[in-house]
Amino acid sequence: MAAEVKPIANTLHTPSEEHEELREQLMFDPRPREELNRMVLDSMTHTTPRYWTAVGVLTVLVLTLLLGMWGYLIFTGIGISGERRPNYWGIFIVTFVFWIGISHAGTFVSAILRVFKAEFRRPFTRAAELMTTFGLAAGALWPLIHLGRVWVFYWMIPYPNARWLWPNFRSPLVWDLLAITTYLLSSTIYLFLPLLPDLAMARDRTTGWRHAIYRALALGWRGTEAEWARLRKAISIFAFAIIPVMFSVHTIVSWDFAMGMVGGWNSTIFGPYFIIGAILSGVSAVITILVVLRATLKNMTYFIRPEHIDALGKLVLVFSMAWAYFFFNDYLVQWYGGHDVVRALLSFHASGPDAWIWYCMLLFNIVIPWLTLWNKKLRRTPWVMLVVTLLINVGMYFERYTIIPLTLGHQRMPFDWGEYSPRFPEISLALGSLCLFMLLYLLASRLIPMVPVWEVREGQEAHLVRKVGKTVVPTVSELD
Amino acid sequence: MSDTISRRNFLKLTGLGAAGAALTGCGKAARYVTRRPYYDMPEYGALGESTYFATTCGECPAGCGLIMRTFEGRAIKAEGNPQHPVNMGKLCSRGLVGVQGLYNPDRIKGPGRRAQRGHDQVTALDWNAALDVVKQALGGGQKVAFFLGLSPDHIADLTAELAQAIGAPAPVRYGALGMFDGRAGLAEACRQVFGEARLPYFDLAGADLVISFGANFLETWLSPVAYTRGYSQFRRSAATGKRRGYFISLEARRSLTSGVADEWYPVAPGSEGLAALALGRLLAERGWALPLDASAVDVDAAAQAAGMTRAQLEHLADLASQAAHPLFIPGGNALAHAGGLAAARSILALNLAAGALGQPGGLYLSPAAADSSSLRDVQALVDRMRTGQVETLFIHGVNPVFELPPALGFTEALSNVKQVISFASFPDETALQSDYLLPDHTPLESWGYQRTLAGADRPVYSAQQPVVVPLYDTRSSADVLLSAGLLPYSDEVDFIQKKIAPLITQGGNVQATEIATFWARFLQSGGWWPVQAALAAPSAPAGLEAAAPQAAAAPEGQFHLVTYPTQMGDGRGANRPWLQETPNPSTTVVWNTWVEINPATADALGLKNDDIVKVKSSAGEVEAAVYRFPAIRPDTVAIPFGQGHTALGRWAEGRGANPALLLAPALNEAGDLAFGDTLVTLTPTGRRRPLAKLESTAGVYGEH
Amino acid sequence: MAEQIKEQVNERWGMVIDMNLCTGCNACVTACAMENNIPWVGEDDAGYGRGIYWMRIQRYWEGEYPETTPSYQPVMCQQCGHAPCEPVCPVFATVHSEEEQINLQVYNRCIGTRYCANNCPYFARSFNWFDYSYQIPEPLNYYLNPNVTVRRRGVMEKCTFCVQRIHAGQEQAKAQGRAVRDGEVVPACAQACPADAIIFGDLSDPNSRVSQAARSQRSYTLLEALGTEPKVIYLKGEGTYGG
Repeated sequence: MAAEVKPIANTLHTPSEEHEELREQLMFDPRPREELNRMVLDSMTHTTPRYWTAVGVLTVLVLTLLLGMWGYLIFTGIGISGERRPNYWGIFIVTFVFWIGISHAGTFVSAILRVFKAEFRRPFTRAAELMTTFGLAAGALWPLIHLGRVWVFYWMIPYPNARWLWPNFRSPLVWDLLAITTYLLSSTIYLFLPLLPDLAMARDRTTGWRHAIYRALALGWRGTEAEWARLRKAISIFAFAIIPVMFSVHTIVSWDFAMGMVGGWNSTIFGPYFIIGAILSGVSAVITILVVLRATLKNMTYFIRPEHIDALGKLVLVFSMAWAYFFFNDYLVQWYGGHDVVRALLSFHASGPDAWIWYCMLLFNIVIPWLTLWNKKLRRTPWVMLVVTLLINVGMYFERYTIIPLTLGHQRMPFDWGEYSPRFPEISLALGSLCLFMLLYLLASRLIPMVPVWEVREGQEAHLVRKVGKTVVPTVSELD
Repeated sequence: MSDTISRRNFLKLTGLGAAGAALTGCGKAARYVTRRPYYDMPEYGALGESTYFATTCGECPAGCGLIMRTFEGRAIKAEGNPQHPVNMGKLCSRGLVGVQGLYNPDRIKGPGRRAQRGHDQVTALDWNAALDVVKQALGGGQKVAFFLGLSPDHIADLTAELAQAIGAPAPVRYGALGMFDGRAGLAEACRQVFGEARLPYFDLAGADLVISFGANFLETWLSPVAYTRGYSQFRRSAATGKRRGYFISLEARRSLTSGVADEWYPVAPGSEGLAALALGRLLAERGWALPLDASAVDVDAAAQAAGMTRAQLEHLADLASQAAHPLFIPGGNALAHAGGLAAARSILALNLAAGALGQPGGLYLSPAAADSSSLRDVQALVDRMRTGQVETLFIHGVNPVFELPPALGFTEALSNVKQVISFASFPDETALQSDYLLPDHTPLESWGYQRTLAGADRPVYSAQQPVVVPLYDTRSSADVLLSAGLLPYSDEVDFIQKKIAPLITQGGNVQATEIATFWARFLQSGGWWPVQAALAAPSAPAGLEAAAPQAAAAPEGQFHLVTYPTQMGDGRGANRPWLQETPNPSTTVVWNTWVEINPATADALGLKNDDIVKVKSSAGEVEAAVYRFPAIRPDTVAIPFGQGHTALGRWAEGRGANPALLLAPALNEAGDLAFGDTLVTLTPTGRRRPLAKLESTAGVYGEH
Repeated sequence: MAEQIKEQVNERWGMVIDMNLCTGCNACVTACAMENNIPWVGEDDAGYGRGIYWMRIQRYWEGEYPETTPSYQPVMCQQCGHAPCEPVCPVFATVHSEEEQINLQVYNRCIGTRYCANNCPYFARSFNWFDYSYQIPEPLNYYLNPNVTVRRRGVMEKCTFCVQRIHAGQEQAKAQGRAVRDGEVVPACAQACPADAIIFGDLSDPNSRVSQAARSQRSYTLLEALGTEPKVIYLKGEGTYGG
């Protein structure tokens, strides 16, 4: 089907700036199919000493900062963290929520944009989906890391056992476990389905161990009509189905807090507030990754263009505004509720010893995006976007930090107020999980095609340019 | 089984069987519960049931009755003896943690000889060799000296007899708790006011107004559990129809006791007696017959010296004159001054004028003479030691190197003593300076008795018996001393039985016709006491001399120092980890020493919480972290007593500071240490060390 | 005989603490520690906020010098009828007992999520950050109570109303074919309390001492507005302090 669509892009010759823009955005400069394939394969097989150095360093860091420290934690006790009464949760859960939040945007960018047929999505859906999977992998470690007795973590899983002991289905942590597992499974499948044709493409053009791997992974894909039809149907089903899963996951993560009896936590708006925050941080992370990929991965300047970053930047601006709205709404209602504990808490956030975290959160999540992202020139400058999106993620980390330890430390009994500051083991683990994420991404970038070639081609081939009056407008032929 | 015997009582009875069976005519060895092999366990042991023994708490001299729960030969939990007149089933933190003394891993595990004083190296001794040393030493006649702690009483009695037998001076009995209670002064004041040198017992339960002059009777003063029980009755209103007692405290810092007072007046240290005298004058104006002439007291000046107003004193006088049963309690803080004896006299005179002697809600005199020597006697001992008149010094139940102010010169004087024999169970500071370590059993492994002094409405012989087999190669000090054959007792139990034999004919809770049965029942019920309250009513005195003690204000730049004992008691509690971990009630600090400073003063000195400050007096200096204490006079600082050990095992050593270093050896008229007159200066060191405390440090009181 | 002994399943254990009598002396804290094998954590950890206290005396200061007044509030697990800790535990390690109507912590089921501790508005729970109990040197561990589990690291613990004593009392009553008498079961804190400020008993029996005290006009519960239905009831102090 895709092959039958005629490439018409060559007919576009109008050199006006406006048209140039259109051309760039929709990649109306198609290259031959084989060249595209080769470019992608090249990016996968092209490794430099710098790459191997990075892989080596990250591997060492993961082994020491994450796995080594985790082993030490298991053998000594949670006490090596900075957690203490009344801050029973700290960096562990903050980082958990952070990664789960990051993992949202992959699905959001890929599935929602796919469902709404946003054409600019095509080149970076894979990068975003990978982020989801690896973000979940890094995030799903944390509920385990933070357990006092991780060796019996499986007691949370509902499995039949001789004592008829079941998990407590009233506990948000069990919902969490189920939601995250579901999300991890479905997002992995959702990553895998559009990967099939590209794996087959790679299988056909490689030899040796790569060939063996791709042959196994490609599941015998031949590109027949029937296969394409089924694939489209499956992708379509998953794109629709994964959206509610994605919304549910972060809502449930928010319920870890909202279902509690902690002042400042039991807010009815936490579900959507967390989702917006997750998407804000996630889309920002997508931009960060795209900027990095574009700069480091071979041939990526063709696939990932400032226009994509521009479009995502607009999304970030919109979600920053939405986040500000939810933050304000949550704040106002909590303040207006007038409970002493919440009032004291809010003033503690804004004037306590850790108030700088609260102000940085507002600065990074609202002020900086609003001041920069309205400007197209800035949106199209990769390094600016890199800085801004990194700051947004720092801001979102601070948001979770404010919500978790800074709120727990200031509850209803002033005798038991407490301060929390992370200790080295926690920071080490958090950095280790970041290293794990980067390492997985680095390895994946050389193992699987980072760009869904067939989708890009499909997009390019499906686009037509029509003249409406004197204006040239691109149109898309009906693919489905 | 009869319905009236509960299972627990039955167990107590059977439990006693193990001890009691031995008493009906077996030898010395059978007097201890022996550990039997498992196949030969008594029924209750084999079934995994607990055994309960009645004994007496040895953690302080108050002599509370314990019911010790034991399980398979191990002491598990201290519970109060519900029948015991002192504590009626209640206990304080110290008594509860007694098992951590018994099972303390740092105990001295057997007799030994120290190669060099002050050094850790100890060569183990055979008990036979040790007994020879004791026997030879006791031949020294008047060159032998005994220094004893405040408990247990049977060792004191035995040593007194022994000293008499060998012609040595009477044993000196002293302890930091006695010092903080101002016991010698209290007894001397009672002698002057009532004609008998005994400690007073205040019937809090029946009073409706209590005015305390620096008495921390809910913490350590004389018999804290008994007084807390009394306080509990004092505060109840419904039961007897009497109104809820009203409690007023005059004390420089708001201690735990003052903390529950309805009114607290932070009077200047040393001015308590003056305030009492002024109050007496106001009461005399209201028609009270004061046995001393207080008309010379200038009420305004007294109020000003105390840091009160005349209106406040008038208010107190009004309350007292309206109260049916007012009580005025002279505490250690009021007595520990140069004019402490006069203060005690003035306060006791108020009780006398209130007319409640020997009546419910009034003042009684406890039956036995005060057991505590004054510091003057200790000083005399130190002098004898210094001049080489002491060849052998026996030390039991006291840790003078830690408890006495070093300025008294005890440690230096020790070097002139040829031979120091310590009976300490723990490697404390004094044991470190001793030549021979002949460890006694800990109280839970020992026989003994304690006459409770001032904590019950009747005379009590509280019985002590071993609840477990002695854990280590320790030996009862009484047996060690008796082994010289200088006294007509075969062993410790024989001595105790002979001592309590006169009680057989006196009636009381325990009755028998002969000593063996009496002994068994005596042990079973935890002691002997009359069935009904029986304390002597003090007699009314002749005219008293009204001496108005002068309270000197602290000079500019100097502060009054208040030193007070905590749950560490006289310092021996510092090696019990749970006493260390139990928060101090007022500050919630654990495991360390702090300096309480009024926040206003601290601000003036630029001191924040946890800043280390150097506290210096004429006698010495200590360093400790600042605790900004909102309820202390701005011209006063306070340091708790009990930490700052240089020995005593892993949990006590090198922790905190010992405020005894700051106390100058100034004695008052009664021979008590006038530690309340100590003046100190504060110097910030610029260092910080966070105090471990339970309370929040996060912004509760405006500090982050 | 078996018919005569009615199974006691409807007891509702409760506690009344009279703030009029409480002196704040902390004897209850120590008694609790000694009864329930609570480990000490040492100065560093205690100062860091890792102290394990099943009950603690909250000391608040009120007023300005010279009217500075401390108020002492003993707080332990309030044994909520509607406990916030229970629904959040993923593995049912903190459960409501049908028989005693108290909250129990099943140590060997606990996996250490610490969610319950966050959700407890009374901060009644303590976590074993390290293996404190296993660090008790010989022979100091001899005194450990054989009726109470020694907790290892990574599990949450809290006041159980001395459930081992409740069971001992119930078993004894059962063996003697009678109901548990009022005052027969006493937790360690109430037993030690020198001021006798703690009354313990069965709230379902309207004539028990604890029920009568709970009906006092002075009674209140902590954070009543949260609807946790605590079974620890405080009696407000009559003086200027407490409550």
